[in-house]
Amino acid sequence: MQEGCDSYRSWSRRAILRGAALGGVAWMAGIPSALANLGFRAQPDGRDTLVVVFLRGGADGLNVVPPYLDDDYHRRRPSLRIRSPKESAAGTKTLDLDGFFGLHPSMAGLYPLYREGKMAVIQAVGSADQTRSHFEAMSAMERGLARLGPGSDTSNGWLARYLNHTAQEGDSPLRAVAIGDLMPDSLRGGLSAMALPDLGAFRLRGDRSFRERLIEAYGSGDDAIATAGRETLRVLDTLNRLDYAGYRPTSPAVYPSSDLGNALKQVAFLLKAEVGLEVAFLDKGGWDTHVAQGSTTGWLAGLLEDVGNSLAAFTADIGSRLGRTTVVVMTEFGRRVYENSGLGTDHGRASCMFVMGGSTRGGKVYGDWPTLADEKLEGTGDLRVTTDYRDVLGEVLTRRMGLDQVDTVFPGLRHRPLGLLA
Amino acid sequence: MKRDSGIDRRQFLFGAAAVSTLAAGCAPLTQRVAGRRRAEDISLPKRGGSEAHRFLHRAAFGPIPGEPRRFAEMGRDAYLKAQLHPTDEDDLAMKFLLSRLDVMRMGSAELRDLPEGHVMRQLRQAAILRAVYSQWQLRERVVDFWTNHFNIFAHKGDGAYRKNIDDLMVVRQHALGKFPDMVRASARSSAMLGYLDNQVNRKGVANENYARELLELHTLGVYGGYTQKDVSEVARCFTGWTIENRFMRPRDRFRFDPNTHDDGEKLVLGQRIPAKGGIEDGNRVIDIVTRHPSCAKFISTKLTRFFLGDAGESVQPQVERAYQDTGGEIVAMLMPILTSDAMLDGPPVLKRPYDYLVSSLRALDAQTDGGEALQAHLDAMGQPLYGWPMPDGYPDRTTAWTGTLLARWNFAHQLVNNEIGGTSINPDGLAPYGPLVLGEGAEGASLGDAAALLASPDFQWR
Repeated sequence: MQEGCDSYRSWSRRAILRGAALGGVAWMAGIPSALANLGFRAQPDGRDTLVVVFLRGGADGLNVVPPYLDDDYHRRRPSLRIRSPKESAAGTKTLDLDGFFGLHPSMAGLYPLYREGKMAVIQAVGSADQTRSHFEAMSAMERGLARLGPGSDTSNGWLARYLNHTAQEGDSPLRAVAIGDLMPDSLRGGLSAMALPDLGAFRLRGDRSFRERLIEAYGSGDDAIATAGRETLRVLDTLNRLDYAGYRPTSPAVYPSSDLGNALKQVAFLLKAEVGLEVAFLDKGGWDTHVAQGSTTGWLAGLLEDVGNSLAAFTADIGSRLGRTTVVVMTEFGRRVYENSGLGTDHGRASCMFVMGGSTRGGKVYGDWPTLADEKLEGTGDLRVTTDYRDVLGEVLTRRMGLDQVDTVFPGLRHRPLGLLA
Repeated sequence: MKRDSGIDRRQFLFGAAAVSTLAAGCAPLTQRVAGRRRAEDISLPKRGGSEAHRFLHRAAFGPIPGEPRRFAEMGRDAYLKAQLHPTDEDDLAMKFLLSRLDVMRMGSAELRDLPEGHVMRQLRQAAILRAVYSQWQLRERVVDFWTNHFNIFAHKGDGAYRKNIDDLMVVRQHALGKFPDMVRASARSSAMLGYLDNQVNRKGVANENYARELLELHTLGVYGGYTQKDVSEVARCFTGWTIENRFMRPRDRFRFDPNTHDDGEKLVLGQRIPAKGGIEDGNRVIDIVTRHPSCAKFISTKLTRFFLGDAGESVQPQVERAYQDTGGEIVAMLMPILTSDAMLDGPPVLKRPYDYLVSSLRALDAQTDGGEALQAHLDAMGQPLYGWPMPDGYPDRTTAWTGTLLARWNFAHQLVNNEIGGTSINPDGLAPYGPLVLGEGAEGASLGDAAALLASPDFQWR
C-alpha cells in the first residue's frame, strides 16, 4: 500500500484511524471515514482550534521575558536576573526579542517560531485581582472576570461561555477537552466539555453487558454526574475508533516525556483525527517559585524548557494545521520585582502571555512597559498591569474563533484589541 | 549516625504493644482479617436507602453491611456520642496491618533511608486502611477534611518523610480538639514549614508564602479583612521559624532561630506587636487570627459545606457561634452539623474519589491491603493522596470531578471481579444484595449487578 504524501491531511488521518490498514473500505470509497456515522461535525467551520496552556502558580514573567535594558531590573534581582544577550554566556544565551526584552534561554525551542513571526509576546499583562492569592487570581481569570468579589464565584468559565454561545446541533463530543484528571474552571459549565486524563488509557473495562448497564443507568437525569456520564460514553464511542497507542508524531517533532509534552501530543492527535476539536485546555503547575527559583539554570529554567520544547514539538507535529490553530499561554499573576531572602520571588501582579499560530502577527512584544521605577510599581513592589488579559483572549475569540460579540464571554469588557491576530 | 527523636518515636509506638501481644497468638486475628461479615444490605444514598444509609454515607465513609441496622438500633445521639470521643480501641485487623508499616514506626530520620516512593505508598496505605476499617469513622472523615485544609504536597522537597509526623501531631492530634491548637501545631510542623517555604523565611526580605496561606487558607479566608501589608507583617513575625538542620541535632524538628528573626515592631490586623518579641511574635499572630471573627466564619462555612454541601447555609450560623463560644472546639462545631436535618434529607454531595473508593470497599465488605494496585485506581480517579500541589487541598466542588467517571467505572468493574491486586471481595457474599439492587422479590445479585451498582450515578453521591 502506498502512503501518498501529496495530501498531508489524509495521510495523517488515515494513520490514526483504527484498522485503516486492514479494512479501509469506507476510507477508500472517499467517505470521511469511520467517524462519518457518529453524527457530528468533524471540523469547526471557519474557526481555529484554540489551545490554552495555563501555567499554575504564578509564572515569573520578568524572568521569562526579561527587560534586559531596564537597570532597575538588574538592581532588584542581583542573583536571579537574566543578563542581556550581549552579557550572557554561550550555552545559556538570552534570546533577543526586540532590543529591550529578551526570552529566557531555556525557551530556545520557541525562538524560531518567534523569528518566523508566528509567536507574539505580551508583557505586563494580567487581571485586576489584587489579592495576590493564587486561587482568587486563577478563579478570576478562568471565569473571564477582571477580578472576583465576594459571592461572584458561581459563574461559569470563559471557555464554557464561548462554547455555550457558539454551540450548534451536531457538535462533537470532543469539541472541548481538558487533558488532565480534573475539569478546569475555564471549561466549567461548558456544553460538551470533557476532562481526559489520557487518551491511550481511555477504555472501558468489562464486557458489553457492563457497558449497556451504564448506558441505561446514565440514560436519564440532568445532574452533573448523569450528564458527564453520557458525555463520557459518547467520547468512549469516538475514541474506540481511533488508535492513539499507534500514534507517531510527524518528524521532526519530539515531545518531551513530560505531562505537558504528553498532553500536547494528544491534542495534536485529536487535531489530525478531525474529531471536531475546537478547544483544548492544558495546564502545568510548579510556577510558585518562592524559593531558589534559579536564573538561566535551575527550577524555573527547567519548567520553561519543558514549555518551550513541548510547544515546539506540537507546532512541528501539526505542521500546516498551525494555520488553523491558535495557542495561548497564560498564568494567574507574575511575581514580586525584587528577590526575597530565599532567592525566590513572592506573589506579584503582571506577568507575560504568549500567543502563537499561523494567524498570529508575531515577532513582536506587545503591551506598554510600565518600567520598574519605584513610583511605577504597584503595592509592595510589583510590576503594574498595563494590558488586560481579557483583551488578548477577546481578540483570539473574535478574530479566530467566530465569536460575534466579545461581551457574551467577557461581560463589561471595553475591548481594546492589540492587533495580535490577522 | 542516626539520631532518634524521642517524642516522635513514642508517638509512633502508641498501641504497638497491644498489637504485638495479639500477634503472638495470631490465629484468631488472621481469621478476623479473612473473616467475612454477612452482607445484609447495600446503600443507595441518593434515592431510596434508609436514613441510616444516608447518615453513614456522610458522617462515615459509607456503611459496611449490617451497620445501618446497628445504627438504627443505637440511634443518632448514641452513635455521635461514641464517635465524637474515640478511644484507642479499634479494629484489630487494621491495627495489625498498620503496625507493619514503616511510616507508623519510624521518625523521619529513619524513613530517609527508604525510597521516597515506598514512603509515599505507605502513607497512602495507612490512610486507606484507616478509612476502610477504623470503627472511628467520623474521625477519619474529619481527618480527611483537615488533611486538605492544611494540605501538604508530599512530593515537594522532603515532604514525604515529614508527612507522617504532620498527620499524627497536627491532623490526628487535633482533629477533634481545638482549632487554634491545630494551627499552632501546623505552624511548627516540619512538613508545613518545608511545603510553604517558611524554613527559608528570614529577616531582610521575608518570604511570604506561609504567611499568606496562613491568613487566606488556614484561618481568615481571602475576604477575611487582611491586606497585602498584613501579609508582609505576618511574614516578618514568622521569620526564624524554621526546621532544625544544625550539625548533630535531631533533624526535621521545629526550631526558632533568633538570628534570622526580624525583631522590629510589627502591626498585624491593626494590633501592635512590640519589638523584641522573638518567637512570641508568631504565637501572637496565631492568637490574633484564630480569635478574629473572620476565622470563625471561614472555618465554620468550610466545615459545614464539607458535610452538607450547599444545604449547609442554614446550619452554618450555629457552627460559627459554636466556634466563638468555645474558642474553636471542633466537636462543638460538628454537633450542629451532625444533628441537623440536612444530614438526612439535604441534597446530595458528590463523593471525591477517595470517598468513592473507600465507600465501595466498605459496601462490598472488601478486604484490602490498601496497596499499590488499589492506589493506582485512586490515582486514575484524580486523587492520589498527599498529591495536590497547591495549598488549598483537593477541590470539593462537583464540577472538578466530572471528568473522571470512566476511572470510577473501571474501578467498580475490577473490584467486583477481583482484578485488583491486594484487594478482594467474596462473590458469594453478594447474594443477599439482590433485593436491594434489583428490587423486592429478586433473587441474588450477580457480579454484574454489583459492578453496575457501584458504577451507577446514585453511588457517586453521598
